[in-house]
Amino acid sequence: MRPLRTVKVFSMVAAAALMASAAGAQMKRGEPVEDYQRQPLPPGIQVIITDIEGPVYANAEGKTLYQWPFRALRNGDGGEQKGKPTCDNTVYKENAGLMSPYPGGFILPDVDKRLSCAQLWPPVLAPADAKGVDKWAAIKRPDGTMQWAYDGFPMYTSILDKKPGDVNGGTRRRVTGEAGALREPVGPPPVIPPGFIVIQVATGRLVATADRSSVYTSDRDTPNKSNCYDRCQDEWTAVLAPEFAKPLGEWGIIQRSPGLRQWTFRGKPLYTYALSPEGRNASLQGSDVPGWHNVYTQRAPNPPKGFTVQDAPSGQVVADRNGKTVYIYNCNDDAIDQQSCNHPDLTQAYRIAVCGGGSQEKCMRTFPYVLADKDAKSDSQAWSRIAIVRCTHSMATTSQATSRAIPGVNSRAHGTVSKPSGCVTTISTMRRERARQDIDHASFA
Amino acid sequence: MKKTTHFAAALGLTAGLTMSASTAPMAASSNDMPAAAPVNGVIGYILTDEVWAVYQTPEGKQECPEGLNAWGPREQFKKMFVDDGKKRTLEEAQLAWEAKIWHPELGEDPFPFRGPVGNISYGVNLDGRVDADDQITPDGVKGIDNQLYRAIGCIEEFRGPTGILHFLVNRYLRDFEFNRVLIEISGVEDMVNDPHVDVTILRGRDRMMADATGNDIIPGGSNRVDMRWGKKYVQRLTGKIEGGVLTTQPSDVTLPHAIFNQIPGEDHMKGAVFQLKLTPERAEGLLAGYSDIDNWYRQLNHSWSTHHQSYGQLSSPSLYKHLHRLADGYPDPKTGKNTAISSALAVKFTQVFIQHPPKEVASR
Repeated sequence: MRPLRTVKVFSMVAAAALMASAAGAQMKRGEPVEDYQRQPLPPGIQVIITDIEGPVYANAEGKTLYQWPFRALRNGDGGEQKGKPTCDNTVYKENAGLMSPYPGGFILPDVDKRLSCAQLWPPVLAPADAKGVDKWAAIKRPDGTMQWAYDGFPMYTSILDKKPGDVNGGTRRRVTGEAGALREPVGPPPVIPPGFIVIQVATGRLVATADRSSVYTSDRDTPNKSNCYDRCQDEWTAVLAPEFAKPLGEWGIIQRSPGLRQWTFRGKPLYTYALSPEGRNASLQGSDVPGWHNVYTQRAPNPPKGFTVQDAPSGQVVADRNGKTVYIYNCNDDAIDQQSCNHPDLTQAYRIAVCGGGSQEKCMRTFPYVLADKDAKSDSQAWSRIAIVRCTHSMATTSQATSRAIPGVNSRAHGTVSKPSGCVTTISTMRRERARQDIDHASFA
Repeated sequence: MKKTTHFAAALGLTAGLTMSASTAPMAASSNDMPAAAPVNGVIGYILTDEVWAVYQTPEGKQECPEGLNAWGPREQFKKMFVDDGKKRTLEEAQLAWEAKIWHPELGEDPFPFRGPVGNISYGVNLDGRVDADDQITPDGVKGIDNQLYRAIGCIEEFRGPTGILHFLVNRYLRDFEFNRVLIEISGVEDMVNDPHVDVTILRGRDRMMADATGNDIIPGGSNRVDMRWGKKYVQRLTGKIEGGVLTTQPSDVTLPHAIFNQIPGEDHMKGAVFQLKLTPERAEGLLAGYSDIDNWYRQLNHSWSTHHQSYGQLSSPSLYKHLHRLADGYPDPKTGKNTAISSALAVKFTQVFIQHPPKEVASR
C-alpha cells in the first residue's frame, strides 16, 4: 500500500474580520488590480479582489457571491428571474430534458449523494428587518426567509469556495447555449469613464470600448505622450475623449493635437486596432503586433513554474513542461437546478463518459492529469495543487492527502462511501480556477 | 457544389495596406473569362465556401430513392432507451450514447442506414484507375473516387441548402479568421494552359471583403499572411493548368477549420489534389483526397454536438461503422485494413491580393 501524496493546503484568511475590501494575490505581488466604484453595501457584504474575476462581492466570511441569471436553453429555460428565488432544498433525482436532443426522466448520476441547490449554493440570507440599499434589496424566499438580491437577482455563495478570494462556483466569461444556466460571480462596477467596458476573459479583465473593440497600448509611447502618428495611424486609431470628458482615477486625457484629446490608462495612451476583424468581440489580435498590448484592469495570474506557453494555430495556450496543451473540462448537468459537474468535488460520471467511455482507466490515458511536482507551489488562488483519489477521481480530503490511506474507507467531499479494493493512491495534480475554454490570442507572459 | 448558400459576411477593409508587386492585378481580366496571365505570374485567391461534395437531385429522388437517412441520434436514442418502459440512469442512457460517439466501435450498424444508390458523384480519380466500383461525374468523367459520398450522400445534415453541416460551415468559414485560407498560384505564364505552376497554401489574417449585401465575397480585397499562428498551414504544391483548370499533384493537405466559438480544428487529406476552374476573379472546383477516418470523425464530433447532428439525422456511431466499411485507402501495415476514405470538398475561392509579411518576419 502506498502512502498518499501530500497536498498543499493554503492557509485560510481569518475571514470574519474582513469587512473592508480585500485584495488577492496580485496586490500582494504589487501588480495592479481593478479599481471599483465604492457603492453602499448592506451590513455583512464586502468587496474582495479575486485573482481572475477581479473585485467581487462577498459575504462576511469572504465567500464570493453569485447570481443565477435566467437563460434560454435548448429545450426550455434555466436560472432565476429577478426577484424570484427558486434555488431551494429540493433534491432533484432526474434530468429535466433541457438539453436537446435528450429527453428528461433519467436518474441523475450519484443521485444518492446529490445535494440540493440550496446546499450547493447557500442563499445569502438577510435579517427579517433588512433594509435595502442602492441596488441591494431583501427579497422573500418561498420558505418565508429573506435573501439579499443585487439588481434584483438573488445572491448565493458556493460550497466549492473554501476561502476568501476563491471563485470556484462560476465565471463572468462568455458562455454559449450548450453550457447551461451557469452561476456568475457578482461584483461592483469598475471605475471606468463612459465609453469603456471591462470584459472578463481567460487572461484577465480586458478593457474595451463600449462597442467591444479591444483597446491597446504601444511600447513606443512614453508616459502620457503618444508617438503614434503618420503611418502608425493606418493600423491604430487613437481612442479620443469627448470634449467634456474628465480624467477619472487611473484614466487620464492627453492633448493629442489641437482639439484632439486621447484617453490614457495608467499613463499609457489608448488605441483600437483598425485591422481587428469586425465582429470579433474583445479580440486580442492586436497584441500579435510586436510592441502592442491589450489593456487589462487586472491580469490573470501566470501559471506556476513548470508550465509553458506554446504557440498553437489558435494563439498561445498553456501547456505542461513537455509542451502538451493543458485542457479544462467544463460541464453542467441537465437538472432543474443546473448543477455543475466539472469540479472534483462533484460527480465525475459525465467527464468519465466522455474521456473514457465510462472507464476511469481509459480517461487516465486519453486526458491524463497534469501531474504536479512534490514541491509545486502557486503564488495565486487561480492555480493550486490538489490530490485526486485515483479510483474515484474525486478530490482527496485534507486527511487523505496528508496521511496514509485508511484501508476500506475513502472519504469523499460529500459523505463517505465504500472504497473498492486498491483504492488507495492519489494523484497530485494542478487545477486552475474555473475558466471556460474559449480561444484567446494573447500572451500569458 | 451547385447549391451553395451565402450568408452575411463582414465588410472587407483594405485601407492602409501596401500591395505587393507580386500580387498585382492581372494584365487582362474580365468577369468570367480566363486571362492570359497575371502580372508577374502570380494570382491569389481566398477560400469562401467549403462543403463536402454531395451530388443532389431535387428531393434526392434519384440518388436516395427510398428517402433520406431516417435514423439520427433522436430516433436511435428513442428506440434504445425510451420506449421499453424501464427506468434508467443517465449513465445507462444519455451518457452511454455520448460515450459511443467519443469511443465508437466497428461492426454491424444495428440501425437501418441509407446511402446513395447509383454511381454518379462529384470527385476526382485519385488512384489513376477506372475500377468497377468507381463513380462517374454528372458530366461523364469516369474513375471517380469518392467513397465518402456513399456514406454521407443521403444524410440531410450534409445536403444543401438546409443541412446544418452545409450552411453553417460556410457561415463560420467566413466569420472566423481562424479559417482564413489563401492559395497563391505563381509561375503562371498562361491562365488557360500552363504545364507547370506553383501553388502555396497560406493562412490569412483578415476578414473577407463582401459586397453591399454582405452575401457575396468580391474580388479585389486584400489579406495579410499569418506567419505566426498560421505557419503550420504553409504548404507548397505543384500543378498545371489545362483548359483553364488548375490540377495539383497529389500531396497531403491540412486546412484550418473552426466551428462554434472558433473551436479550433482541421481537415486533413492525404494525397490531395486541387481541381479548380480558374478565372481572374474566381476559382471553383474540388479539393479531393483521402481523409483519415479517425481524424475526419474526430473533427466532425469536435465541431458538432449531438444536438446539431440530430437535426439532420446524423448518427455518428452509425456513420463511423460505414466510414470504415467504405474505406478505400491507406491500409494499416499491420492489419491491412484501410484507414482512409476517398473524399472531395467542393470549394470556391475569390481573388484576393495577398499581403506577405517582410522577409525577416516570415523567417521567424
